[in-house]
Amino acid sequence: MHRVQARINGKDYEHEVEARLLLVHYIREKARLTGTHVGCDTGNCGACTILYNGKPVKSCMLLAVQANRAEITTVEGLAGNGLHPVQEAFLNRFAVQCGYCTPGMLLSASSLLESNAAPSEAEIREALEGNMCMCTGYQQIVDAIKYAAETMRASTGKSL
Amino acid sequence: MMNLDEIFVTRNWVGKSVRRDEDIRLIKGEAAYVDDLDMDCAHVAFLRSVYAHARITKIDTSKAEALPGVIAVVTGPEVAKQTKPIVARAITQPAIQYVMADKKVRYVGEPLVAVAAVDRYIAEDALELIDVEYEPLPVVVEIADALKKDSPLIFEEAGSNVLLHDTLEHGNMDAAYQEADLVVKEHFRVHRYSSTPLETWAMIAKHEKGNDSFVVWANDQQPGRSTANVCNTLGIPNNRFRLIVPDSGGGFGIKLAIWPHIVILCLLAKKVDKPVKWVQTRREHLLGGSHAPDCDVEIELPMKKDGKILGLFIKDIENDGSFVHTAGIYGLIKFATMVGCYDIRATRAELLSVVTQKGPTVQNRGVGKPTMIFVLERMMDIAAKKLGLDPVEIRFRNFIQPKQMPYTTPSGEIYESGNYPECLQKALSLSGYDELKKRQIEMRKNGKYIGLGISAGIEPGTSNLGYYYTSRGVPEYMGNAEGAIVSIDYDGNVNVVMGSVDQGQGHATTISQVIADMLDIHPERVSVDSHLDSLVSPFLGHSGAYSNKFNDVDLGAVIMATKKVRDKMVRIASHVLGVETGGLQVKNGAVCSRKDEQKSVSFQEIASLAYKKILLLPEGVEPGLKEIAYYKNPMAKLPSRDDFNVQITHSNSVHVVAVEVDVETGEITFLKYVIVHDCGKQLNPGIVEGMTIGSTVHGIGAALLEEFVYDENGQPLSASFMDYMKPLAGGLPRIELAHMESPCPYTLLGTKAVGEGGAIGSVAAVANAVEDALSPFQVKVVSLPITPQKVVKAVKETKEI
Amino acid sequence: MIPSKFEYFAPASLAEAVSLLSKYQEEAKPLAGGQSLISLLKLRLASLKYLVDLAGIAELNYIREEGAGPSGTISIGALTTYAQIKESKLLQSKCPLLPQTASVVGDVQVRNRGTLGGSLAHADPAGDMPAAILALKAELKAVGPQGERWIQADDFFLGMMETALSPDEILSEIRVPVLPDHKMIYRKAARRPSDFAMVGIALCLKARDDQTCEEISIGVTGVTDKPYRAEETEKRLRGKKLEPKIIEEAASAITEGVDVMENMHASQDFRSHLARVYVSRAIAAAGIRS
Repeated sequence: MHRVQARINGKDYEHEVEARLLLVHYIREKARLTGTHVGCDTGNCGACTILYNGKPVKSCMLLAVQANRAEITTVEGLAGNGLHPVQEAFLNRFAVQCGYCTPGMLLSASSLLESNAAPSEAEIREALEGNMCMCTGYQQIVDAIKYAAETMRASTGKSL
Repeated sequence: MMNLDEIFVTRNWVGKSVRRDEDIRLIKGEAAYVDDLDMDCAHVAFLRSVYAHARITKIDTSKAEALPGVIAVVTGPEVAKQTKPIVARAITQPAIQYVMADKKVRYVGEPLVAVAAVDRYIAEDALELIDVEYEPLPVVVEIADALKKDSPLIFEEAGSNVLLHDTLEHGNMDAAYQEADLVVKEHFRVHRYSSTPLETWAMIAKHEKGNDSFVVWANDQQPGRSTANVCNTLGIPNNRFRLIVPDSGGGFGIKLAIWPHIVILCLLAKKVDKPVKWVQTRREHLLGGSHAPDCDVEIELPMKKDGKILGLFIKDIENDGSFVHTAGIYGLIKFATMVGCYDIRATRAELLSVVTQKGPTVQNRGVGKPTMIFVLERMMDIAAKKLGLDPVEIRFRNFIQPKQMPYTTPSGEIYESGNYPECLQKALSLSGYDELKKRQIEMRKNGKYIGLGISAGIEPGTSNLGYYYTSRGVPEYMGNAEGAIVSIDYDGNVNVVMGSVDQGQGHATTISQVIADMLDIHPERVSVDSHLDSLVSPFLGHSGAYSNKFNDVDLGAVIMATKKVRDKMVRIASHVLGVETGGLQVKNGAVCSRKDEQKSVSFQEIASLAYKKILLLPEGVEPGLKEIAYYKNPMAKLPSRDDFNVQITHSNSVHVVAVEVDVETGEITFLKYVIVHDCGKQLNPGIVEGMTIGSTVHGIGAALLEEFVYDENGQPLSASFMDYMKPLAGGLPRIELAHMESPCPYTLLGTKAVGEGGAIGSVAAVANAVEDALSPFQVKVVSLPITPQKVVKAVKETKEI
Repeated sequence: MIPSKFEYFAPASLAEAVSLLSKYQEEAKPLAGGQSLISLLKLRLASLKYLVDLAGIAELNYIREEGAGPSGTISIGALTTYAQIKESKLLQSKCPLLPQTASVVGDVQVRNRGTLGGSLAHADPAGDMPAAILALKAELKAVGPQGERWIQADDFFLGMMETALSPDEILSEIRVPVLPDHKMIYRKAARRPSDFAMVGIALCLKARDDQTCEEISIGVTGVTDKPYRAEETEKRLRGKKLEPKIIEEAASAITEGVDVMENMHASQDFRSHLARVYVSRAIAAAGIRS
């Protein structure tokens, strides 16, 4: 057994875990943050996407032991109080149907907008290559991210 | 369609893109899918067959049972002893299959042993300790193998691998052939694919030892039928089984078939003193979580030289794999709307369901219609080419005309409304079809091959569940209906409980829009629980989410229950205000006098009488403000082979697609994608748009990427999302969507089906576009999916995809 | 879909990692970004007793230029991620093939976690980075109990997921030459952009103003059980004018001497065909003066 200390959404967690425990199971079952989902076995679907030390990764492709001293953000911690602009945009642009891919999509999208304030449609689609959605056909998700970029630029006063 | 003034008191919400109520939880990660439920559970893993066909000679679970952490084990043979075989719906041959493999295995992935352990990790470890001995049997994979005279039998008792063989003829086909100038024939092969919801099947079963009953939480898509099936299979009374459906991460039909696993979980739960949980792995899902069957379709169009089609013959052979429950239904559904958008007065459908050693099949988004429209719309192009007609022109010459509506097809399907020629016209102009045609000629000069594809499709909704009368005599279910409970609470707010379930379609929002306009309140005052609980929800055998029935019968039930509540409130208000009910109106969350709006009593005050000051209620009025209603669509016909409607509403759409094909690499790039869609009245265009685009992408995936591939031993080669290729965000077209509105006269709000249409029209449109692009190479598209390899091979050698 | 049990070590230094590997030999495996290995463990296609996680070894993550001018090189620590390679200004200006190739590996999440060293040591027959490494004629530093040794890229890939590394060696650094005046291109045929390559062609080409090919090296992936150099194709181009006929003839040799793989996405014939088309297109694109 290994001791894991991780900071998830600003809160410290500490558990004894088996070496083989996947990080996604740690987050869901030990930290009881169930917004991070499992949709495949092979690291393809991205439903388990989290921000790991600030960058989107698939939490089913990491071991919990590896996350010792890591800084993690899950969908539950994406916004403080209220909603992140990307969440607002998903609401307003019908980017959610069943909601299962949504947490991963939100984290990928927020990370993209962090590094690129005005992504093109092609850049948005590339940023979502690791997140599968079976409901929407992606279009309204892409539109929501464009819209979020606009609102974020407007609120920070940045123009193109 | 009802007089809308009888339903609505305002028109503030219905028809608007009201933001989805349910999304707040979903975007915050606060949804509660089955796997998220906070319960102390044992965890289940399945050992599944590694052979496609084999006799089981030994199952030894002793080592697994001895592994610390393992709590209970059940094997297929044990389960078979305790259960009845799986009920078959459509097939006519006897075929006995249990929910787990009994004496032999029939496909790779068939459940053999279920293990419950303290956690999923140990459960999976235990699987490796189970010793199974198999005696391999000869394997049947493809339709042609199954039909061979000396083919090994998958179900010996059936005497054949064909479990259903029926021919349905309507109109005079012989005359059609006699009058024809020519008969255009083709043979198509359509592959296996599936809509693979992102959340796999998931369930928790708990056995209540006290009264020997079960509570199950599962993401079941058709709880009405599943409840009956589970109880029958377990041989337990209905009142010993309670099903709860929490949030569900996508369905598309694939979660209609989870009930056999519920049976297994219940048996396991009996052995364990806490709930047992199983979440299907993606591999399990792709192996045995159900597919749309692959099929082999021969088609003939007797026609006149001017392009007029006189009759339509199909011989449709479905490879239903090994799952007797739903085998045979695809052909029956396909046949119902086989004429598509065309005025064809004679049809003959020869339908076969064969079993093979591929995985189970179930109703996947569109159920057979994507294939039917694919073959029919391919035939329109092929016939046009034969006759030297433009593909647009041949469609115009055969369309059912608006003045023919309502139009009854030869078999009795009633197309209620629609303007098919205008829909095509609109799609052509929106796509810039003529310009694209010119560009095609220009680009060919530079060695670039672009192609245009059109498809016109019907998207039926609300199945009349008696459709398998054709094969089995009197069906167990008929017609279609749904139930709803609507109540006003102490605060005068509205609460709704549904018999149907939601997998992402936004039912709650749509329901709240309808009720808001019926009671003149803000939709936020309507709270909809779209989670079913069989103990409290008003469900029927029909209950569930399938065949686009929601905005027909589900909303019908909501409207009827709301009307009952509204009428009761008006009656109470009449007593309070001393005004005749006829002189009252519902306005702004209150009931008031039409003459003097000051004379008013709020819903909250009415509720206070109904729930608390019950002595002040008028004579004969019961306390409480909760009403239940069931609504059945009035148009469903009684089962008959001669005149029957399999579906009740009929949306339609035209897809126009432009693609560029790189003939050296086989890569296909989208240049344009336009849909004109007519689903009658739209209640929430934002939701309609999302479902239409989403289902279109399902069709694009089916046309170009996705395929369940099996080798000659029946081993699946596409058991992960690495090899079972779903469309991703890149590489997809931007889909432009426009609407027409031909209200349905047979639904209360004039709505029709929404949800499957994109998946139905897109497959054909993409295939037609690819063939058009490759026309300089005389390539014909008669199979799916259209892969780069097939494109290159066809261009270079075979001339056929 | 859960790994079997194993013991886990997180050494803080390369030396410590090597000593663990030399202790457990074949029963141990080093873990870099894990984007392939963890998947294999979950599917229980790979099993091992000891997992040596290299992620904590900070000394293996760097990109730096060594020496200046035409003979200069760039050294890349094995644990440098695809994302870091993609974003590296140094590589973008001095060795654009690597960022170009890294940018089409998997998806964003994979690129944030997966590493150059991991990709090479895993030696997936359809991996992207190995093709680029071959085309660049990179040198690979292996560190083992006996110290370090350098392996030429050409000698590194031995077969299906098999490399010249011994079980107790760790790939620690990749050194690529700075090749001014070379055109560099990576082209990949894949069903979807983020998929493994059905065929991937990495190309370094130096052409004179008159379109004569002065120097060329081609790395090929996705075609056979290991990534390889297309030596016959290179030979047919060196010193020749890059004209369509010559290119076509050279491209026809792209799978010469190679046992072409087959799977559900591409038959032998189709894969060979794709390799010819892709190499022709890559050469044609690179041969054009900018």
